[in-house]
Amino acid sequence: MKIKFLTVLVLALTLVAGACGKKDADIQKAAQDKLSSENVTGASVTVKDGVATLTGEVADITVKNKAETAVKGTDGVKSVTNNLTLKPLPTPVPPPADPMLKGKVEEALKKAGCTGVTVDTASGKITLTGTVPEAKYTTCFQAASQAGGSSIQNNLVKGK
Amino acid sequence: MSVQEKYQTLLELANQNGTTYQLSEADGVLHVDGTAPSEEAKQQLWDEYNRIDPDYKSGDLMLNITAAGASAGGGGNTYTVQAGDNLSKIGEKYGISWNAIFEANKDKISDPDKIFPGQELTIPGA
Repeated sequence: MKIKFLTVLVLALTLVAGACGKKDADIQKAAQDKLSSENVTGASVTVKDGVATLTGEVADITVKNKAETAVKGTDGVKSVTNNLTLKPLPTPVPPPADPMLKGKVEEALKKAGCTGVTVDTASGKITLTGTVPEAKYTTCFQAASQAGGSSIQNNLVKGK
Repeated sequence: MSVQEKYQTLLELANQNGTTYQLSEADGVLHVDGTAPSEEAKQQLWDEYNRIDPDYKSGDLMLNITAAGASAGGGGNTYTVQAGDNLSKIGEKYGISWNAIFEANKDKISDPDKIFPGQELTIPGA
């Protein structure tokens, strides 16, 4: 009797474990398909006990987020561990030489109708100082952002 | 938090509103260079930038978005001649010789001593 009961128990456990394993494999397949249909490349997913783990290297943060959302939305996934890493980004186009950069920023500001801004450039870094009307603040900063510098120290003040 | 993470909602918005862009990064500064389908889409991105980094003070993002159909860049590689300018003076401004400017603008300038206020000159190498 005891032996019989144990046998049944072992059989039952094996069945349950087997069913779980199969289910994980199915979920994993569905999750992987979902990643493909969302055009996510570089990511792979494994599923264990309903917990999906994403690994690999993807192009940028938006792909990482997209992969997580796709896997989260897969039937049977309880939670997602997102271990995706981001590919290192290339370095920007080198800025023009400082006098050239300064000239470009000043010209861009002039075209945008921004007066009263002092431009300094040092090793590609642009420094903006001065007061501009509040309504023109974004326009002026935008103009300077498009001149090809490596960064902007923005000391502009909003005036009237 | 990486700069990409900081500006992720801006990048998501760009994906949604049809802006194509390229990312690059150096010294903790994220560069986003791209083209928005419209002036409105470009403005949405700038609004989001201003929301994440009020008044653009952090200096960790270079957002360079051109609206499709608009003339490239915010002034890019041209210079508008002012009263009192001459080629040497303009060259000095950009750290190049007057002759380089003259050569690049031969279609507009026949005599290097004669340029006029309002004239748009191409700045070579810019």
